[in-house]
Amino acid sequence: MGFGEYVGSELSTLGFYAQQHFLLVLYAVAAASVIALALGVLLHTNELTPESWTRKMRVGSRETALLLASAALTVPSLALFGLLQPVLGIGVAPALVGLTIYGTYPVLRNTVAGLSSVDPAVLDAARGMGLGPVRRMLRVQLPLAWPVILSGIRVATLILIGVAVVAAIVRGPGFGQPLFTGLGRLGAVNSFNQVLAGTLGCLAVAAVYEIAFFAIARLTTPRGIRVR
Amino acid sequence: MSDDVRPTIARPMIARPTIAHPMIALQGITKTYPGQTRHAVAQLDFDVPDGNIVMLIGPSGCGKTTTLKMMNRLIEPTSGRILLDGEDVTGVDGDQLRRRIGYVIQQVGLFPHFTIADNIAVVPRILGWDRKRIDTRVDELLHLVGLEPRDFRDRHPRQLSGGQQQRVGVARGLAADPAVMLMDEPFGAIDPITRDRLQDEFLEIQRQIAKTICFVTHDLTEAVKLGDRIAVFGPGGVLQQYDTPEQILTHPANDFVAEFVGSGAAVRRLSLLELSRLELEQISVDGVDSPNGHPTYRADAAGRAVAWSHLPGVSEMPPLVTVPLSGTVYDAVDVMLDMRTPLVAVVDHEDRPQGALRWDALVRELPTKGRRP
Ligand SMILES: Nc1ncnc2c1ncn2[C@@H]1O[C@H](COP(=O)(O)OP(=O)(O)OP(=O)(O)O)[C@@H](O)[C@H]1O
Ligand SMILES: [Mg+2]
Repeated sequence: MGFGEYVGSELSTLGFYAQQHFLLVLYAVAAASVIALALGVLLHTNELTPESWTRKMRVGSRETALLLASAALTVPSLALFGLLQPVLGIGVAPALVGLTIYGTYPVLRNTVAGLSSVDPAVLDAARGMGLGPVRRMLRVQLPLAWPVILSGIRVATLILIGVAVVAAIVRGPGFGQPLFTGLGRLGAVNSFNQVLAGTLGCLAVAAVYEIAFFAIARLTTPRGIRVR
Repeated sequence: MSDDVRPTIARPMIARPTIAHPMIALQGITKTYPGQTRHAVAQLDFDVPDGNIVMLIGPSGCGKTTTLKMMNRLIEPTSGRILLDGEDVTGVDGDQLRRRIGYVIQQVGLFPHFTIADNIAVVPRILGWDRKRIDTRVDELLHLVGLEPRDFRDRHPRQLSGGQQQRVGVARGLAADPAVMLMDEPFGAIDPITRDRLQDEFLEIQRQIAKTICFVTHDLTEAVKLGDRIAVFGPGGVLQQYDTPEQILTHPANDFVAEFVGSGAAVRRLSLLELSRLELEQISVDGVDSPNGHPTYRADAAGRAVAWSHLPGVSEMPPLVTVPLSGTVYDAVDVMLDMRTPLVAVVDHEDRPQGALRWDALVRELPTKGRRP
C-alpha cells in the first residue's frame, strides 16, 4: 500500500491520533504554564525566601531554584515515563504528568526573565503612585513580561509535541502509538507508513500550534509594547 | 560671617512674613543604605511650609532623590520622623500615603503598555473616580502641560519624545490633585525654551492652586526662579543651607554654598534676580504727584512712558529706556550700559511703568520683597 492510500484508509484513526496528541499537549502546557507562572512570580518577588536574607542570598536562591528546575529537563524522557509508571500506572495520567514536568521549566525561566526585564523606573513610578504589590504585578509587571512569557509557553509546546510521542511507552495517547507500533514491527505491512504518518502528524500538530501562537501573540500583546 | 570657613549646617532661620505651618516636616532624618558606611542623607531637619515650593539642589549623589523618596516612604529612613500636615506618617500604610502625594520620578517611568490618557488616569482610577471626571481631568492636564489632548490621549509613551514623556510624567503626578507634590528633575530633558515656558506656567499654576512642592533640580537658575526656598545639599547628604533664594545668593552660609552658587558670581547673581522680586524705586506720571524726591515721567495716551520729566539729583535728562518686569537685573544692567543711562524704567507686560532701577542701587544691597503679594 502506498502512503497516500494508507492515509486515505486510516483517515479517521489518524484524525483521532491528531486530536489526542493536540489535546494532550494542550492540557500539559496549560498545567505547566499555571505552575510555572505561579512559581515564577513567587521566585521573582523572592516570596519564598525569608526577609532577613541579604539580597545576594535571595538572588542566589532564585538562581538555584531555576537550576534545579532545569535539571528535570536532563532526565531522559523515556526514563521519566518509566519512573512514573509504577506510581501512576499507564495511560493518560502518567503521560500528562510527565509532559507537565517537561513543560514547566521553559515557562518558568521565561517568566522570571520577563519579570526581571521590566524597567525599574516603571516599577518605581508604580510604587510612587501607590500601586500595591498585587496591582503592580497584575497591571504592570505581568503585562510587560507577557511577550517573553508567551514565547516560553511556545517553546514548551514545541518540546512537548516531541516528548508526547515518547509517552506512548506508558500507553499515552497521540501519534506515539502508530509510531511505536510501526517501529516495533519494521518491515511488516504498512509499518513504514505508520512511522511516516506519526512523524508527519506531529509536524501538522506543531504547525497548528505555531499558527495559534502567532494569533495569540498578536491579540494579547499590549499595543504599546508590540514590535511591528 | 567671621568663622565661615567651618562648614555649618544651616537651620531654617528666617521666618516668612506669613508664617505657614509646615506641610512636610523631616525631623532628624538619616538614611544609610544597607552595606554602605557613608550616609546618603545625614541628620536632616527640614520644614516645608504649606503652599511653598522648596527646591532641592546639590551635586550628583548628595541624597536629593533619597530625601524625596523618604517623604513618600518609598525609602524608609534609618532614623528620624516624618510629619505630613502634622501627622506622623512613619507608621501609616505606604501605598495609601503615596496616593495622596503626587510624585514625578527622575526617570519618568511611564507605563509603556498604557496610552497617555491611561497613564495619567492611574491614580484617579484607583481612587474610584467616575469615567467622565477622569476624562475631563486628563484633557485638562494635557492642556496644562502643553500637549494637545486630541493628538496625545491615545498615543503610547514610545510614540513621544523624551521631553513630551516628561511632561506626561508631570501631568500624571498632578492627576489626583494632591496637596503635596514631589518632583525629581521634572524639566530635565526639556529644551531651554520650552522649559522656560513650562516654568512660567508652573509658577502661574502654583499661584492658583498653591500646592506644597518639593522640587529637585540641578539648575541654579531654575531653583532661584521657582523656589520660595532653596535647600543646598552637600556631599554625604548634609544640608548646607536652607533659605530664600536671595539669602542663598547674597549670604551663602559657608564656602561650599558659596562655591556652589559660583565664586566671583556677583554678576551671575544679577541674572538670577528677577526685577519683579525687587523693591523698585517709586516713580509716578508727570503732574499726578508732587515731585518731592521721586522721579516722574511723561506718558502717552496708552499710559506708556515716553520720557523722564523730573529726576532728583540728575541735571541732564537721560533717555527713558524700559525693561520688562519679567526680566532680570542682569537685563537691566545690560540696557543701562548699552544706552549709557544711569537708570531704567521697569514696565509690566502692557508697558506701564512699575518703578525704576538706578545704577547706584546695584552697588548697594538690592532690596527684595517676598514672592507672592
Ligand atoms: N538603592 C541604593 N542602594 C545603595 N546606595 C544608594 C541607593 N540609591 C542611592 N544610593 C546612594 O546614595 C547616595 C545618594 O543618592 P541619591 O540618588 O539620593 O542622589 P541624588 O542627589 O538624587 O543624585 P542625582 O543628582 O545624581 O540624581 C549616592 O551616593 C548613591 O550612590
Ligand atoms: Mg536623583
